[in-house]
Amino acid sequence: MWWCTTCRACEEQCPRGVPIADVMLALRRLAWQDRSVPEGVSPVMWALHWDGNPWRRPPSQRAVWARGVNINRFQRSDEILFYVGCTASYDNRSQRVARALAGIFGTVGVSFGTLGDEEPCCGDAAYALGQHDYMKQIVQRNAERFAEEGVQRVVTVSPHCQDMFLNQYPPIEGFQPLHYTQYLAQLIQEGRLGFEAEFKVKATFHDPCYLGRRNGIYDPPRDVLAAIPGLELVEMPQSRADALCCGGGGGRMWIETKVGERFSDLRVREALDTRAEVLVTACPHCIACLEDSLKQTDSPMRVMDVAEVVVGALSAGRHA
Amino acid sequence: MVESLYPAGDARGIWVYLEHTDGRFEGVSLELLGRGRSLADVTGERLTALLLSGDGSALAEQALGYGADRVLFARHPALSVYTTLPSARVVADLVTQRRPSILLLGATVNGRDLAGRLAVRLRTGLTADCTDLLIDKESGVLSGEVTGFGQGILATIQCPDTRPQMATVRPGVFARPVFDPTRSGPIEGIAVEIPEDDLRVRVIRRSPRRGADITQAERLVIGGRGIQGDFALLRRLARALKADIGATRVAVDQGWIGHDRMVGQTGSVTRPKLALVCGASGAMQFTVGIQESETVVAINSDPEAPIFEVADYCIADDVFQVLPQLIEALDQKAGRKG
Repeated sequence: MWWCTTCRACEEQCPRGVPIADVMLALRRLAWQDRSVPEGVSPVMWALHWDGNPWRRPPSQRAVWARGVNINRFQRSDEILFYVGCTASYDNRSQRVARALAGIFGTVGVSFGTLGDEEPCCGDAAYALGQHDYMKQIVQRNAERFAEEGVQRVVTVSPHCQDMFLNQYPPIEGFQPLHYTQYLAQLIQEGRLGFEAEFKVKATFHDPCYLGRRNGIYDPPRDVLAAIPGLELVEMPQSRADALCCGGGGGRMWIETKVGERFSDLRVREALDTRAEVLVTACPHCIACLEDSLKQTDSPMRVMDVAEVVVGALSAGRHA
Repeated sequence: MVESLYPAGDARGIWVYLEHTDGRFEGVSLELLGRGRSLADVTGERLTALLLSGDGSALAEQALGYGADRVLFARHPALSVYTTLPSARVVADLVTQRRPSILLLGATVNGRDLAGRLAVRLRTGLTADCTDLLIDKESGVLSGEVTGFGQGILATIQCPDTRPQMATVRPGVFARPVFDPTRSGPIEGIAVEIPEDDLRVRVIRRSPRRGADITQAERLVIGGRGIQGDFALLRRLARALKADIGATRVAVDQGWIGHDRMVGQTGSVTRPKLALVCGASGAMQFTVGIQESETVVAINSDPEAPIFEVADYCIADDVFQVLPQLIEALDQKAGRKG
C-alpha cells in the first residue's frame, strides 16, 4: 500500500469505479493508528511539525527562492495570491520555476503577492502519507488564515497544493485555487500574455497526475504551449487520462524507489521515443523524478517546466 | 488497579539494562549510562549496570568506566544472544529481589521487547520511547518526556506509585559519556538458573543486515556525479581522513556504490563533524542529508553550484585536481606524525 503513487491510473481503468487510491490512503491511515508506518515516513511529519515543510528546511529560508526578485507581501487588493509551496520554495531546481512565474507575472503586470516566509505548507505530505488527523489540523489552520488574509484567487506552482486546496480544504468564501497553467492560459485568452517571436523547439508534455487525472486539467498547459509560435508539441503514446505517472505522488517523493522500479524511467523512455528536445511538465515532483531518470541516459533532452518554456519564449521575443 | 510488587518507600537505585552485540555496547546503552549517572547524582543514589551475557566480563569493566557504580553481571549460555524469555526471567527476578527505583532500557527492537514484558511481570508502568528524562530530587519520581504525533503534543509522564519506574529511551537523545578508565567499582556475578520452559527459542544463526551505517560517521567523504564513478579515489581520501564514504542519489543510481551509503531525503540523514562533498551539485533532496553536519567542505568545478550555499568551505575546482593533492598532503602530515 506504500507503493501507491495515488496517480489514479488504475481507477481510470476500473470498470467498477472503485476509488483505489483512497482505499490505499485509508490503509495508510490505519497504519498510523497501528504504528506500523515504514521507516522514514514519520520524520516527514516531524519536519512538517517543526519546520513547516516536508523537506526539513529552515522556515526562515522559505522566501530565499525570491533572492534578487522583488516580491511584495500579499494584500487584499492583489489580483492573486502566488502560493509557492514547499518544494518550489526550497528545491533549488524548482525555485527556478517559482522565479520564472514571478517574472511572467511581473512582465504581464499582474498585481500579486506571496505570504513570504509566513507561507504555510498546504499539508499534501500529510494527506499523501495518510496522516489525516494531522492533515486536518493543518488544513483547518490554513483555511482560517486564508480567510483572515482575504485570499480569493490563489495560484499555485504545484498541482499537489492546488489539489489540496480544491479537494481537502473546507469552503472558504470566494476562494478560487488555480494551477498556474490555468492562470497563464487565462491571461493568454484575455490578451494580457502574448508571444511575438518564434521559439523553435520540439516539445512533449507530461501530464502531472494531480493536475490531469485528479483534477481534469489537461488542456490549459497545452493551450499555453500552443500559444507559443514555433513550438511543436508532440504527444507521447500515453497522454492525458492514460499518462504514465512520474512516481512522485502519494508521498513517494519521501520514500526511495530503486533504479529499474521507477515509473519515471518508463516515462522518460517514452518521451525519448518522440524525439522531442524538451520534456515539458508542470509539477515540481515530476521535474525531480523525470530529471533523475533522464540522468541515467545520455540523451541531450531537457526537462522544463511550462513556466520556464514561457519565459524562454518571452525572452526570444525580446532578443529578436 | 494492580498493586506494585514492592512499595515506593523500599525502592532504591537507578538501573540501566545494557545491550550489546559481538562484544560491543549498543550506543543507546552507553547514552543511558551517561544520563543515568547524572540522574543518580541528583538523588544521591547508586547507578547499577545490568549486564546479561554468555561470556567474558570485559564489558562489565567498561560499564564502570562509562559511569556505573556497580555492575550486576548475569552469565549464562542462554544469554549470549538476546531472546525474550530468558532475559525477562533474569531481569524480573533481579528486580524483585533488589528493588530498584528506576529501570532504564534503550528503545531498540530488543529493548522494547523486553521492557513491555517486564512491565507486565513487575506490575508497573512503562514510559516508552522517551526523548528526555528528568528526576525529582526529593521524591525520586522520574519524568519521561514523550512526543506524541498527530496532536503535536509533548507529554510528560510519571509513574508515582509503582516501582520500578520503567522507561525506554530513543537512541541518540542523550550524549555518550566519555570513558573514564580510572573509575572502578564492584562487579557482582549473579547465579542464573533458567528453567527449561524458558528455553523455547533456540538461536540457530544470527545474520545481521550487511551494509554500512553512515548515520553514525564522524567524518564523511561524499561523492556525487562529478566524481564519475571513481570511488577508489574517494576511498583513498577516506582512509587518509579516517572517514566513511557516502554518496548522492545519482552515484547510487549509476551503481557506483550501494544504497546503504546514500545521503539525503530517501537515504540517510547524517550528522558528521566533517562532511567533504565531492562533485555533487547540491540538490535539496541531498543537502537535507548533510545540513546537520558541523562543517561542510564542498568541491565542485561549477562555482554556481548550489552546494556552495550550504558549504562552510568552498573549493571551486576540478575534484580530480584537488583530491590527489589533498590526499598527498594528508598522507605527508600523517607520515610526519608517525
